[in-house]
Amino acid sequence: MTQILFKDINKKDLHTLAVYEETGGYKSLKKAFAKEPDEIIEMVKASGLRGRGGAGFPCGLKWSFLAKDVFPRYLCCNADESEPGTCKDRELLLKNPHLLIEGMILCSYACRIETGYIYLRGEFYDLCEIMEKALEEAYAKGYLGKNILGSGFDLDIHTHLGAGAYICGEESALLNSLEGMRGEPRMKPPFPAVQGLYAKPTVINNVETLCVVPYIVNEGAEKYAAIGTEKSKGTKLVSVSGHVKKPANYEVVLGTPVREIIYDMAGGMRDDNQLKAFIPGGSSVPMLRADQVDTPYDYESLQAAGSMLGSGALIVLDHTVNVVETSLRLVSFYMHESCGKCTPCREGTRWMWQILHQIQTGKGEAAHVEELLDICDNMSFKCFCPLGDAAVAPVASSIQNFRADYEELLQRMTANTV
Amino acid sequence: MFAFSEQAEKEIEKILNKYPEKHKQSALLPLLTLTQRQEGHVSPDAMREIARRLDVSPAYVQSVASFYTMYTLGDTPVGKYTILFCINISCQLNGCDELLDYTAKKLNIQVGETTADKKFTLRREECLAACTGGPMMRVNDTYHENITPARIDQILDSLK
Amino acid sequence: MADNEVTLTIDDQTITVPKGTKVVDAAKTVGIEIPVFCYHEKLGSLGCCRMCLVEVEKMPKLMTACTMDVGPDMVVKTTTERVEKAQKGVLEFTLLNHPLDCPVCDKGGECPLQNNTFKYGPGDTRMDFQRANNLKAAPLSPVITLDRERCIACQRCTRYSEVIEQDRALVMLNRGFHNEVGTFNNEPYDTRFSGNVIDICPVGALTNTQFRFKARTWDLTNSDTLCAHCGCNCNMTLGVRTNKFMRIESRPNDYVDDGWICDKARWGYDFLESKNRIMEARTTLDGASKTLPVKDAAAQAANALKKIADEHGPGSIGFIGSPYGTNEELYLYQKLFRQQLGTNNIDHKVYAETPGLPIPHYDVSEIETSDLVLVIASDPTEELPILDLRIKKVVTRGNAKLAVLNDQSTLMDRYAHLSLRYDIGAAAQVFAALANTLAGEKGEVQDTGITGEQLNSLMDMLKSSKKTTIIYNPAALTGQSVDVLKHLLSEIGKISSMECGAIPAAPYTNAVGALDMGVLPNYYPGGVPLADAEAVKQQSGENSPLEAGLSAMEMIEKANSGELKALLVHRANPVVDFPGSKKIADALKKLDLLIVHDMLETETSQLAGIVLPSNGPGHDDGTTTNIGGRVQFRKGGLKTTNAPDWKIISMMAKTLGDETDYITSFSVTDEIAKMVPGYGDISKKSIKKMGLARTAAQYQNGTKPDSAKSQPAKSDGLKLRIASYLFAHDKILDADSRLAHQFKPSTVHLHEDDAKKLGLKNGDDVIVVSGDTQVRAEVEISGKCNPGGVVLPRISDEQGVLGLAGADGISSVEIRKA
Ligand SMILES: Cc1cc2nc3c(=O)[nH]c(=O)nc-3n(C[C@H](O)[C@H](O)[C@H](O)COP(=O)(O)O)c2cc1C
Ligand code: SF4
Ligand code: FES
Repeated sequence: MTQILFKDINKKDLHTLAVYEETGGYKSLKKAFAKEPDEIIEMVKASGLRGRGGAGFPCGLKWSFLAKDVFPRYLCCNADESEPGTCKDRELLLKNPHLLIEGMILCSYACRIETGYIYLRGEFYDLCEIMEKALEEAYAKGYLGKNILGSGFDLDIHTHLGAGAYICGEESALLNSLEGMRGEPRMKPPFPAVQGLYAKPTVINNVETLCVVPYIVNEGAEKYAAIGTEKSKGTKLVSVSGHVKKPANYEVVLGTPVREIIYDMAGGMRDDNQLKAFIPGGSSVPMLRADQVDTPYDYESLQAAGSMLGSGALIVLDHTVNVVETSLRLVSFYMHESCGKCTPCREGTRWMWQILHQIQTGKGEAAHVEELLDICDNMSFKCFCPLGDAAVAPVASSIQNFRADYEELLQRMTANTV
Repeated sequence: MFAFSEQAEKEIEKILNKYPEKHKQSALLPLLTLTQRQEGHVSPDAMREIARRLDVSPAYVQSVASFYTMYTLGDTPVGKYTILFCINISCQLNGCDELLDYTAKKLNIQVGETTADKKFTLRREECLAACTGGPMMRVNDTYHENITPARIDQILDSLK
Repeated sequence: MADNEVTLTIDDQTITVPKGTKVVDAAKTVGIEIPVFCYHEKLGSLGCCRMCLVEVEKMPKLMTACTMDVGPDMVVKTTTERVEKAQKGVLEFTLLNHPLDCPVCDKGGECPLQNNTFKYGPGDTRMDFQRANNLKAAPLSPVITLDRERCIACQRCTRYSEVIEQDRALVMLNRGFHNEVGTFNNEPYDTRFSGNVIDICPVGALTNTQFRFKARTWDLTNSDTLCAHCGCNCNMTLGVRTNKFMRIESRPNDYVDDGWICDKARWGYDFLESKNRIMEARTTLDGASKTLPVKDAAAQAANALKKIADEHGPGSIGFIGSPYGTNEELYLYQKLFRQQLGTNNIDHKVYAETPGLPIPHYDVSEIETSDLVLVIASDPTEELPILDLRIKKVVTRGNAKLAVLNDQSTLMDRYAHLSLRYDIGAAAQVFAALANTLAGEKGEVQDTGITGEQLNSLMDMLKSSKKTTIIYNPAALTGQSVDVLKHLLSEIGKISSMECGAIPAAPYTNAVGALDMGVLPNYYPGGVPLADAEAVKQQSGENSPLEAGLSAMEMIEKANSGELKALLVHRANPVVDFPGSKKIADALKKLDLLIVHDMLETETSQLAGIVLPSNGPGHDDGTTTNIGGRVQFRKGGLKTTNAPDWKIISMMAKTLGDETDYITSFSVTDEIAKMVPGYGDISKKSIKKMGLARTAAQYQNGTKPDSAKSQPAKSDGLKLRIASYLFAHDKILDADSRLAHQFKPSTVHLHEDDAKKLGLKNGDDVIVVSGDTQVRAEVEISGKCNPGGVVLPRISDEQGVLGLAGADGISSVEIRKA
């Protein structure tokens, strides 16, 4: 089993600098400083590493997009982790904060960045304290601050806590939030690489993405690129939750069939129930049917199957579930988390919730299902940011794949009135 | 009248150092968080004070503060312990709804309310990123995963 | 095609537009309308309402036309099936929780939501759930009503507050579906420019409380007119129904107002129906006061003046006009006094401004292309509010820097890159020092409150600028400092690497017009100096008087000494508005004849032997020249049976033998075009749309700086600076004004050093004393001026601050505990 991020994850006191260094921590810095920054970017490009925050954008490419010769530049680590089903960053931050710091140093060096922020969701107050301690240790040891390890490279990293808003995980909303504004997403273009934090070129990466970088620098791009499939390289932390025997974060080589993740790694279905559906990449991606369980867990295969890898949260539903309830719960979440800036998302999530709620409580009408699909169509790709599309995913996919569940509830209603 | 504690003042100094001088507005969320933690709520007075320090309008502070769910705007503080109960998908699949009801009954309040002795505030919360440990709840800054009625009893009873 | 242009296709039409144009605006240029809600040209893109979705070739998603810049060879389609479906969808979302109360909504008939729904919307709604229960109409301020139920969360209003007003007083509160427009802690939204949100709200969420339920919009007669409150002359629309004043709205003109008006424009017109209006002519010449037809009164006035002039010589009569009069009124009055009555005792002001500038007279819109704005002794925010918005715009959203040189701090300082505060009374010396420094000589700034270093930084800013606009308020400059300033302007004009121009920003409606029309003792219209007898004769005829006239303050003095026997005052209230106030009244009482031609009863009209009614703005037509030298037409709107001012003046002239017949106010305008240098191109047609800049008068003088000294204090009291306050409680904003909530208590600003010396603290009640005048005020210790000075904003007529001022504007005051 290839373990990159979770190699020593359960080692005692890994969160301390001493133990982290024992495991080879911070070794990559010297190697990196011996190279030109651009070489690091090339390495990351060659590794095939893609963003682990949700969109899966090639990491090295993103770094190379920074507006030329504009300084200062910023790095924002996205530690907002609020996609339902996802809790892998939390485990990394909790148990291995120094790995993130090391990754951030490498990224900053590669991109000539001198200030980094770790944007943690407000509920991660405990993690923030852990992170602060780790940062302190790193400063004390000269891994941060001025002239790091005599390289002439300076870097400061600060933590910044959010305050309860899922949308702040979206990168431009995150920047707004970090600038002391409402967490509404920004218009793109300009993209953050050109005008990000404080209107300066900015790299935004997920915690997990940055945590992979030390491995690439230490072991070389080829070694990383050898893991996984042709197009989906490396490993991915997958948060397996829901109706499985052993819900947990697993480090999965990309391309591993979903069946293996559910049945081998996570111990199979709880109570040995029947698998009904699974959401492979967090609440924002369409759900798939049990008969798709052999789909390889990688970006391309999941997309071909009609869903996405997303943030890598595999939510498993057994046969006891009626997906209308699942959709209702998720739409309720998106309604609650819609920033309200754009009309289709603000109004559409609430309207869908109203309809789903009626169906769920046995007051639905036959026409409601088509109406839902039409609302989905009116929202899809017409909202300001992807949150609106995310809200559509559970509804559209549950109707598409499990229309019977809706009909069952609607029939129950007809039965009641007859 | 609102005032930051001495401890908070020290924090503020550190916070302001994190951001470029020209962008001290970045300290808005951190200052609101400090206030919320110090007072258990964010009063209009406090917002005025924060506005003054960051050179923004009080309306702006309220606009931002009211966007986020972790601030309790107004004059009523939350209880000594705030219980955030995750009700999102992974927890739901594992029975959080019943546990939330159980907790509300035990505390003898509705979800969203604070107990009469001002000890507990119970809130329904969206996903808290502990999905593999659901059902879960967060009591102040502590995560409690894989909770059961018995665990809830034990946790709540242990809180003074 | 130029480099900075882009050619694209929209609905099969090929268009070339400047780079950076938004697709929505590009479409507009060829008459293709893309529906919008949140987009507003002046606010820029936000992209939140999603109404403007269009199809763009090669892009998989529909795009928002309001956020997308045009691109070369872009192919845009605005009417495809996909687009139409999306538009219907967005409208359906928009209307989900919008009440369908159009029949009782004040926006009905001019509502973008209504219009878009009609054109692009779904036939009916599928929404069968309870609509959101938002608050129905509630006051957002004493003058604005907010109907949250109707709000579609387009954020125009809140962005206006952020981007245009820049004080973030109106904000979005809460999140998502609970989003709502609001203020801090439900306090009223009562900024200086709050009313514009009414005009830009695309639904009936923000309405004018004054207009609520008064009339349907389609029943209004709208008159395109100008605001008459200050020298900006913002364009506005006066809504009238059955000859009743209904409301005022903005009417964008980028050369003047950039699309906005201030709240004084919107709600400061209650005087149109004030109970203090002078509706009839009256006379006391034959004993007790009695009313008489206006025509008779005009004849009586003219004859009486003529008689006195004949008996005591033309020097015994005088005219004090008003910077609030129209060009036609001012022109006719000076003509009457010069040609029929033979005197140059003609003036309109108590400060020392002269016509002409040594550098170009800039139009207000020139600010937009400047990289430096230098504000001297001016407080745009209080004096010329719309200028405040324009300056903030270029400084925060454009590339301009702002430098401020003033004796008092103003809200502009917040936006300034350099802000220099000189001592009250030291203006002339500071200007001289700067002029000398620019000329490469030594600039002395000792005892002025600013340092040589500061002066150098200002000079550096000037020298590194490519284009500078200088805005100065002549009315705030005392003694000879205006002359020195003009010398400074000519020195600045010599910086060869820079283009520059000035805006003489006296706060009065038509201060520039009054100078241009020659309502001055020493200049004929168009800035022709009395000294140039040939020019005068050529322009105004052989019989034009050439003897130097008296200035307004000199006339008062001579009235006091008995040498001036008769005075006609048009639309002015010297008793309150001239330095010395009470002394003015005493002097006026000594006149044999005081004629007042005014709109509202004033302290001065109370003293008059003959009173003539003036209809004023809202009623009479006329042109005015704004601070940028732009001549525009101020149309009336309300009808009245009284003759307009220009006609009354012409009646007087006729009584004295003038033959000219004027049919409309434009007949006078035509004569101005013929007679007044610089106004040759002005005509009804040429000024119709956007107005037209007149050519500025030639610059005549400017004092050499060596003679400039700071004005010595007359005693060792504190030097007084009288400041302006936009919403002063005067005859125009009287006690019944709907802006009464903006009235302020009398406050005197002290430097903390002086406060300490005087043992005063914030909030202390004091009296400010000069001679036998006393003004009550509350102490505010602030950095508003340097030590040794006090700033006292003029907040009402009753407060009587002008009583404290000396004849040359400056004076020393004492402060005593009340
Ligand atoms: C509504 C929404 C929520 C998101 N939440 C998160 C999040 O919690 N954490 C995260 O890393 N990325 C999140 N993203 C993705 C970010 O916008 C961004 O793509 C990511 O941080 C980039 O980092 P990566 O390239 O390393 O994945 C979210 C995106 C959207 C649209
Ligand atoms: S009040 Fe009007 S302008 Fe303001 S957000 Fe609502 S609809 Fe838009
Ligand atoms: S007008 Fe384009 S999104 Fe509102």
